[in-house]
Amino acid sequence: MSSAQLRGELKRLIVTELNLKGRDPASIEDDAPLFGAGLGLDSLDALQLAMSIEEQLHVRIPEGDEARAIFQSVSTIADYVARIQAG
Amino acid sequence: MSTRLWVTGLGLVTPLGIGVEATWERLVRGDRAIRPIQLFDVAGQRVGLAGEVDGVEVPSPGWSRTSAMAATAAEEAMRGARLDVARARVGLVVGGTTGGMFETEQVLARLHAEPECREVLVGMLSHPLTSTGDRLDERLGPFARVRTLSSACSSGANALVVAAGWLLAGEVDAVVAGGSDGLCRLTLSGFNALGALDVEPCRPFDRRRRGTSLGEGAGFVVLERAESARARGVVPIAELAGWALGAEAHHITNPAPDGRVVASLIERAVARAGLSPRDVDYVNAHGTGTPLNEPMEAAALALALGGELARIPVSSSKAQLGHSLGAAGAIEAAITALVVSRRTLVPTAGLDEPDPALGLTLVPQVGAVVPRVRAALSNAFGFGGMDTVLVLADPARETEPQRGPTASSLVVTGAAIFAACGLLGTDECGALVDGHHDLEAPVDPDAHLDLLRARRLDRAARLGAVAVGRALADAGAVSGATGLVLGSAFGNVDGSAAFMHRIFDKGARSASPAEFPNLVPSSLVGHVSIYLGLQGPAFATADLATSGESAFVQALQLVATGEAARVVAGAAEPRSDIVERILAALFAHATSQRGTARNDVAAAIVIETEAEARKRGGRVVARVRQALEWRGEGSLIAELAAPREGRAEVVLARANGGTGPLLAGTPWGACPRLVCSEAVGESDGLGAVAIAVAVGRIASGRTEQALVLGLARGRGYAIVLGRE
Repeated sequence: MSSAQLRGELKRLIVTELNLKGRDPASIEDDAPLFGAGLGLDSLDALQLAMSIEEQLHVRIPEGDEARAIFQSVSTIADYVARIQAG
Repeated sequence: MSTRLWVTGLGLVTPLGIGVEATWERLVRGDRAIRPIQLFDVAGQRVGLAGEVDGVEVPSPGWSRTSAMAATAAEEAMRGARLDVARARVGLVVGGTTGGMFETEQVLARLHAEPECREVLVGMLSHPLTSTGDRLDERLGPFARVRTLSSACSSGANALVVAAGWLLAGEVDAVVAGGSDGLCRLTLSGFNALGALDVEPCRPFDRRRRGTSLGEGAGFVVLERAESARARGVVPIAELAGWALGAEAHHITNPAPDGRVVASLIERAVARAGLSPRDVDYVNAHGTGTPLNEPMEAAALALALGGELARIPVSSSKAQLGHSLGAAGAIEAAITALVVSRRTLVPTAGLDEPDPALGLTLVPQVGAVVPRVRAALSNAFGFGGMDTVLVLADPARETEPQRGPTASSLVVTGAAIFAACGLLGTDECGALVDGHHDLEAPVDPDAHLDLLRARRLDRAARLGAVAVGRALADAGAVSGATGLVLGSAFGNVDGSAAFMHRIFDKGARSASPAEFPNLVPSSLVGHVSIYLGLQGPAFATADLATSGESAFVQALQLVATGEAARVVAGAAEPRSDIVERILAALFAHATSQRGTARNDVAAAIVIETEAEARKRGGRVVARVRQALEWRGEGSLIAELAAPREGRAEVVLARANGGTGPLLAGTPWGACPRLVCSEAVGESDGLGAVAIAVAVGRIASGRTEQALVLGLARGRGYAIVLGRE
């Protein structure tokens, strides 16, 4: 999967798994903050997203502070997933 | 009438032991019962530790572990209080969250392997929360009335609040009240999905705390008015001096970090006890051991108790027992009563490194005898931000509780129905039974909701949010301190089944963290309170096909006893494939009687004190004249007041074989009867529809007065509404 494809897939996951009705996945910017002021997601969303990524992309997101760094934006998640997938 | 309420009996079933003394001795010693789960396979679970009760004997089908533990604890409490149900009007209140989920999981596992298997469905007889009250009624009753409620982890504490309301209203002589919850795979998987469990036994108030530990058990108390206990020659263990409950309207799993709602509840509970922070000598904290709970709870205690807090020891029993969810509030209230009675503090076991940031005076490792415990707090906070604070006091105290007058004049200011008939406001509700309706018409809550804000709401919560929102809008009422009581007969069975099927298919790590909070029976109340910003008392009630009626009479009580000036009552019941299949399997012979198919149904009614409605200039659309509830054959119907002058109607949820004969003996026997199921389909929430229809018919001038009669197996409700 190319980097752009991976980002697109993550955006689709965010919208469907977190039930962001009416939100166009393409409208989520790669580097926009996901939590707090950005997309307005919270810790429960992070958990759901981590589970979905593990299930669908087969990459386990670590817990705690590490997860916080990974979940900053679509780009940071994509980078982490790509790094793990590359082994 | 004295308003002193005494705790005269206690019963405990905990992971530390069966019985009050078995638990107490180990509790004071600092023993911990949190260990690897034996009850079921925990392979694939992130954490497999919990406090498990050994030696629970489940009598027969129809009984769950939850019910079995409840029966043992309630029986101990009744024995201690020398309570005889034949010699007094005794009520029963049961709080819980899991009901028969442990047993249901075995049915679901079988259905997962054999989807068409029908005979296993009988195993779900113990599933509804109501089944615990029913089993206790059979074994320890008959009780005059029974209430089943859920507010997640404050359920057990709220059972005591409901009991206190019944006693203050003089409706019963004594109440057996408490909570019970059994461990199950669903709860463990869900808490693991939320990352809410510590990999070690939980460490409340410790710097290294990383989550809670689950537990199970039951706690019951006998509560009665001081003078009736004196007349029976029974001595008090402690006084239930004060209480307060409310909702944070913040988040479905996370507490509001500032602790302001909890602080205001502590202040109110202490003030209504007739006490001040100077009188508080101990706090039994909610103290779950999660990173988020303790800072919130410490902030709330500091806000409410001020400089006194430095002097007041605080501990959490969860380090020893685990978190028994719907039972915890009652178990911990019983422990707090013992702390007061025995002047012995219970510890936070395993507290090696107290978190200095919390600024609390803690009781590490083992209990301690102290000179006196004049009053103590017991805190319980539930998912969805449903919080309750109880004050237990030394019954020899000289101060008197500040109860405030009970409101005698209750009015309705708005009603709504949302079902296949569409969304009906107050006056339109009155026309529901006049015309013909397409029972197959789609019910689309999303057309009425802000979808982004409603993204976490499941279907029940969506239906509820639409109906409650419309009723409040019709009432012209501001949200704020408004309370919310919704009936839900079975909880989210379909959601629970889907959640478990995922786990059966893909393992425990696939448990959905976002789905789990929606499986707690009170989640629809939590979601609706958050969506609409309602911060008054909030919980769900369950009473099979009369769940809507139970919510309504419960809301009346909360308003009458001053817990809130305004409470919305109602029900929200989506159609459920699984409930349909269970009922078809269990009542195969009776399906023809059930007639219409079960449908998506929600209804809501806004209840206020007349003073509150007048103060804010609200339109009074109906008055509550009378509300009766009973268990058994309904001899209480003899107390039903006759209709006054003018047109009078009887509104029935459904055509029920029992209503005719029961009505025939009353002054309402000759009145026209309207049946709601024909207009919206069958639902366990139909009672709320019937009440909304009665309100609408009075509001729109179709009738002067109406009787709503709701009957289900061995239980009934009669509610009379009128224009004046």
